[in-house]
Amino acid sequence: MQIALEAEGLAKNYGAREAVQNLSFQAPQGSICGVLGPNGAGKSTTLRMLVGVLKPSAGRVTMFGGPLTREVLKRVGFLPEERGLYRNMSARGAIAYLARLKGVSAGKAFKRADALLESHGLGPVRRKRIKTLSKGMAQKVQVLAAIAHEPDLIIFDEPFSGLDPVNQRALEETIRAQAVAGRTILFSTHVMEHAERLCDRIVLIAQGKKAFEGSTQEALALAPSAALLETDGDYDLAAALGPRGFVITDDGAEAGHRRWRAKLEGPNASRRLLAACVEAQAPLSLFEPARASLHEAFVALVGDRAAHLE
Amino acid sequence: MKQIYLVARRDYLAYVGAWGFWLSLITAPVLLTVLLFGPLLLARAEPPRVIVVLADSPADAALVWRTFDDEARSAARGEVAAYLNTTARGAETQALAAFDAAPRRRAAIAAAREAVRANAPQALGAFPNPSPRYVLVDPPAPDIEGLRPFLSGARELLVHGALRPLYGAVRIRRDAGAPSIEYWSVNLSRSEPSEIASRAMRRAMRREALAERGVDAAQSDALDALWPAVAQYDPRPSAPTGEVTLRQKAPFYAALLLTFVLWSVVFSVANMLLSGVIEEKSNKILDTLLTSVTPLEILIGKLLGVAAVSITLFSVWGLMGAGLVHLAGERASDGVIGQIGAAFLEPRLLVAFGLGFLTGYLLYGAIFLALGSLCESVQEAQTLLGPVALVLAMPMMLIAPAIDNPNAPIIVGASWFPLFTPFLLLVRAPSGA
Repeated sequence: MQIALEAEGLAKNYGAREAVQNLSFQAPQGSICGVLGPNGAGKSTTLRMLVGVLKPSAGRVTMFGGPLTREVLKRVGFLPEERGLYRNMSARGAIAYLARLKGVSAGKAFKRADALLESHGLGPVRRKRIKTLSKGMAQKVQVLAAIAHEPDLIIFDEPFSGLDPVNQRALEETIRAQAVAGRTILFSTHVMEHAERLCDRIVLIAQGKKAFEGSTQEALALAPSAALLETDGDYDLAAALGPRGFVITDDGAEAGHRRWRAKLEGPNASRRLLAACVEAQAPLSLFEPARASLHEAFVALVGDRAAHLE
Repeated sequence: MKQIYLVARRDYLAYVGAWGFWLSLITAPVLLTVLLFGPLLLARAEPPRVIVVLADSPADAALVWRTFDDEARSAARGEVAAYLNTTARGAETQALAAFDAAPRRRAAIAAAREAVRANAPQALGAFPNPSPRYVLVDPPAPDIEGLRPFLSGARELLVHGALRPLYGAVRIRRDAGAPSIEYWSVNLSRSEPSEIASRAMRRAMRREALAERGVDAAQSDALDALWPAVAQYDPRPSAPTGEVTLRQKAPFYAALLLTFVLWSVVFSVANMLLSGVIEEKSNKILDTLLTSVTPLEILIGKLLGVAAVSITLFSVWGLMGAGLVHLAGERASDGVIGQIGAAFLEPRLLVAFGLGFLTGYLLYGAIFLALGSLCESVQEAQTLLGPVALVLAMPMMLIAPAIDNPNAPIIVGASWFPLFTPFLLLVRAPSGA
C-alpha cells in the first residue's frame, strides 16, 4: 500500500493554546479519507498545515514519499474552509487562473475549465462573473478549480458546508469519481453521514488530538451496539436478563407493550441476547439490532461533551 | 517567475478591465486642469466690482479714478503681453506698441488685437479680452451714512443699465492738508481698492511736495514713470549664455506639474495595492493562492501588476499631453509651445521622475501592502490610513518653499527623509548644476 500523505507528530500552538497536538495519520494512495471532528477540533488547522498554508509548531508532513515542496504541492488540489474567488472574474477564468498557478498551460487550463463546468451543469454560466453566481454555484466553481489541474491528492476542508442536499449529493459523486480515477482524497467534515457514505478511512479528532485512525468499519465496530426489544404485557425483561449479565434499560411503554434497549458487548452479542430471551421465555414482539453510527463511535471514543464541543 | 507573472497579470487586467479605471484616467487630467485654471477662470468670469469714491477734494477724486484706470490698463497690458509671449513672440513688440499708443484701455486692447491680426493671425483665436477688476461710479449718496444701505447689500446701484451691488467705498479726507483714506466694505478679507487709492494719494502727496520745490505735476509724473530695465541670468556653467528665457524657466513649471502627477499617481496606486490585499483577505482567496504561490511571489506580483497599471496611466496621459502640445503648437508661433513641451522631456526631469516613481511607489506601496495585511476590511484600513495620509500630504506642503528656494536647508534636509525624497527629488531636479 503506497502512502500519498503522511502526517507525523503535527502540532500547532497559538501562544499558550494548543490547537493541534501530536497528530499523526496516513492517507493511502487512491483512498478517500475523512478527517472528522466537531467544530473547533482542529481539522482546518490540520489541513492548512498539510498544504503548507500554516507552518506547524512541530512535526512534519510527507507527500508522495517526500517533503512538502512547491513542486509536490502542484500535485495537490486544495479547497479551503474559508473560500472565495475573485468576484470580478468569470467562472472559467477563475478555474483556469488557479490551474495555471499550478503549472497547467493556458490552453489546457481553459479547455479543462470549460469541460469541468459543462460536465457539472455550469456550462451556461461559464462566462458569468463570480459575483453574479449564487453561493452554491460559486462554491461548485471553487471545487472545480481545486481539481482542474488534475491533482493526485485532493484536500477539501468542509466541502459540504453551504451546499443544499442536491448539491451535497452531487459533490459526493464528484469525490467518488475522483477516487475512481485513482486520486487520493482527504476531506474534513463535522457531518458524520458524509464520511460514512464516502470514506475508506477516517481520522477522528477531538480537542486537537487524534482519537482514532482506521477504516470506517473499524470505527463503526467501536460504536456500542444495541438492540431494541418489545415485550407483551408487564413482563420485566431487565429483571429476567440482568442476572444473566445483560445490561437492559427501560425505553418506555405503549399500548400493552414495554420497550427495552439492550447493550450488546462482545462477539455474537445479539445472538446470545436472543438465545437468553428464548431461554427466559420472554414474550417478545420485537427484536431489532440497532445499526451503529460513526457519531456513536465518536461519542464512545471521546465522550459526549468533547464530541459536541463547538 | 511564472507565478509572479500570473499574479501580476491578473491584478493588471483586473484594474485596467474596470470601467472606473478608464473613467478616472480621463477625469484626473481634467480635474487637475480645473484645479490649476479654475480659480483663474472663475476670477475672470466675475463681473467688475463696483467702487465709489468720496473725496473732500475733487482733484483727489479725479486722481483716484485715474489710478484705478491706470491699474486696469496695466493689468490688461500684462495679460496681453503674457499671452503673446507664449503664443506669438514675433508679434509682441508691435502689438504692445499699438496698445501703448491707444488712449484708453478698451481701445488699447482693440489696437493690440488688430496688430496681432496683421502679424500673427494664428494667435488671434484665444486673444484675451480682459475686463477691469473694478468699475468706478458716481456715489449715490454724499456721505458714508447715505452709502450704508448700498454697502450692506440692502440696496443696489444701476451700473450700465443693470442693478449691481456696491463692493466698497473709498473716502479721502483732507485734515489739515494731509490726505487720509478710509475704506468701507463688507468684504473684510480684501482691501485692494484701498491700496490703489493709497498709491493715488501717494502720488498726490509727492506732487505736492515736489511742487513746493518748484517741480510741476507733469515733471513729477515723469519722475514716477522712470523704471529700470531688469534682466535675469543663470550663472550655472551648463546654462546658455545670455538672458534667461522661457525655455530655461519651463523645466521648473514642468517639474512642479510632474510632482503633482507623481504624488497623485503614487497615492492612487498605493491605494490600489491596499484595496487589492483587503479584497483577497475579505474574499478568502489567500488560502487558495498560498498552496500555489509563496507570499513573496504574491507581493512581487502585486507590485509589478500595479506598476504596470501606473505605466498605462503615464502612457495614456503622456499621449494626451503630447497631443495637446501638438495642437497648441500649431496655433502658436516661434515654437514656444514646443519649448514648453521639450521641458517635460529633459533627461534630468525624466530620470528624476522615473526614480521618484520607482522609490515612491515601492516605499508607499510596501507601507500600504503592510497596512492591508493588518486589516480585514476597508473600514479597518481607513482608520489606519489617517496618519499615513497626513505623512503623504507633508511633501506637498514643502513644494512651494522648494520652488522658492530649492537649496534651502529645510528642503535639503527634508530631501533625505525617505518618505519625502521621491517628490522633493523631482521638484529640485531643474535647479541642479
